[in-house]
Amino acid sequence: MTSPAIVAPSGVRRGRLGVGSWLVYVPLTILLVFAVAPLVLAWFTAFKSGDQIIQSPFLPPIPPTLDNLIEAWTVGRFGVYFKNSLIISVVDVVGMVVVASLAGYAFGRLRFPGQKILLYALLIGLTIPVAAIIIPLYVTMRDFRLLDSLASVIVADIALAAPIFVFIMRAFFKDLPRELDDAARVDGASEFQIFWQIMLPLARPGLVTVALLEFLWSWNDLLLPLVFLVTDDLRTLPVGILFFQGRFAIDHGLMTAGVLILSLPVTVLFLVFQRDFVKGLASGALKG
Amino acid sequence: MAVRPFPQRIDAASSGRGRLHVRGYVLRRYAAAYLFILPVFLLYAVFVLRPTLQTFWLAFYEWNGISVEREWVGLGNFRRLIDDPIFWQALRHSLLWTVVVVVFNLVVGLVAAALLSGNIRGRLLFRLGYFLPVVQASIVTAMIWRWIYAPTGILNTSLDAVGLGFLARGWLGDFAVVLPALAVASSWMTFGLSIVILLAGMQGIDPTLYDAARVDGAGRRRTFLDITIPSLRNTITIVVLLSLLDAFKVFDIIWATTQGGPIRATEVLATYMFKEGFQKNQYGYGSAIAVALALIILVTSVVNVTLRERGDD
Repeated sequence: MTSPAIVAPSGVRRGRLGVGSWLVYVPLTILLVFAVAPLVLAWFTAFKSGDQIIQSPFLPPIPPTLDNLIEAWTVGRFGVYFKNSLIISVVDVVGMVVVASLAGYAFGRLRFPGQKILLYALLIGLTIPVAAIIIPLYVTMRDFRLLDSLASVIVADIALAAPIFVFIMRAFFKDLPRELDDAARVDGASEFQIFWQIMLPLARPGLVTVALLEFLWSWNDLLLPLVFLVTDDLRTLPVGILFFQGRFAIDHGLMTAGVLILSLPVTVLFLVFQRDFVKGLASGALKG
Repeated sequence: MAVRPFPQRIDAASSGRGRLHVRGYVLRRYAAAYLFILPVFLLYAVFVLRPTLQTFWLAFYEWNGISVEREWVGLGNFRRLIDDPIFWQALRHSLLWTVVVVVFNLVVGLVAAALLSGNIRGRLLFRLGYFLPVVQASIVTAMIWRWIYAPTGILNTSLDAVGLGFLARGWLGDFAVVLPALAVASSWMTFGLSIVILLAGMQGIDPTLYDAARVDGAGRRRTFLDITIPSLRNTITIVVLLSLLDAFKVFDIIWATTQGGPIRATEVLATYMFKEGFQKNQYGYGSAIAVALALIILVTSVVNVTLRERGDD
């Protein structure tokens, strides 16, 4: 971030706020309120009683109540949905880190016949929108007798997102110095040893990106669990909220409690790993 | 994404002494490589490639999804699609959606990125705030904005409070505004990403251009219009194409708020496909809609990737 000031007036310098700086800070702040206020108001509402919601929709919840969250967690079954979402996302992350780093390594550092064609075959996968293949995917899951199981969502999640993560890992492995594996090869290390003991530890930043993005996408996904999971006990948080609003349309307290339960984990992860998220999502914006 | 040629060390070694030994070694390396990519390709083949081909194949049949019998109808589904006013309506909706999202993500995004690229205080705070909606689930966006747009919701309450009560309405029940209203909700969760992409583009502009402009006495606005915008041509195209992709792929936000209603006012390809496929069990016709969706996305993506590659050079 050391670029020249493009439109910022010369009066704006760290430690000095000139008159012209209003032109910069007022629009930026309005946009900030637009971005953050809807979410924060929803979080506030999750801690409000029914009366507070009606009387003071814009104020912080004083005094806060946990009634909405407790009721959503138990009666609204968000506890069950949370558990299902967590299982799917964690298994997704572990599975994706394994398969994407293996394939990314092969494409980035090894050479084999058909490499280019196979890479292009994966590239097609970057452009296929899930909605376009959801019908035969549903039939495939039915044929495998995987419908209405968390496994159906997990394998589909991994298969659909694998291309982008293979490309991310390939880029990481490609940029590691070539002397490393050559030296290990001369010493007689097997391909797997080189991958496991030398390359994988060096590609840790790539693995973090893969883990974070896969967690985010699987945690937030609606369509696959909506189509594949029928039993209420197996629903994920997004699907749970979707059906929940159908049953309890007017209860904003419970609805925002659900929003809070769904959005809090990814928000915390984002605040901790914001650099990785911003970089990863900007480069992954091509994903289908 | 061109494959960089690998150093030819092994080939060089395979001439002359130890050729057989080296060949065995190379084969073992091939085997290792294939083993490494096997898991991804197994999953990919079964759950992505095959369903993709099946979508195209199913589009030539009439099938209720259950019976063993599938009736071959040739191009029948596609002919029906072309004559289907709802299909064209859905396309128009996606285009209108794109316009709203582009105005928002590009115009607001450009201004914000330009302001942020200056030497300002609290840049981290702004960037964190703008990006916060990007990591939220689309169902979270849908729920929050449904709540904002409700007849007695945040928006109408705010309008009343500032004396603009006459503008208040049931935003999601009004044909005239429901589609742009939802597109704004969609922009809310994507504009942060646009800002990041545009900022990255601005970092790449040659600083000497600005020095030259300053020497020529160009003002801030002139500089922005004559240097920043033209230099960002590729980046701007990418933001537009990404908005286009979003507009054609959108499903979650609409499904969780209006399900395409009121009376198809927010019907898009994905919601229409979902209804035809999973609610009416018209798997063949649903697949034909999916094929149209896939082709539109494919073309847009190819243009996008091409531009991106060119931008990398």
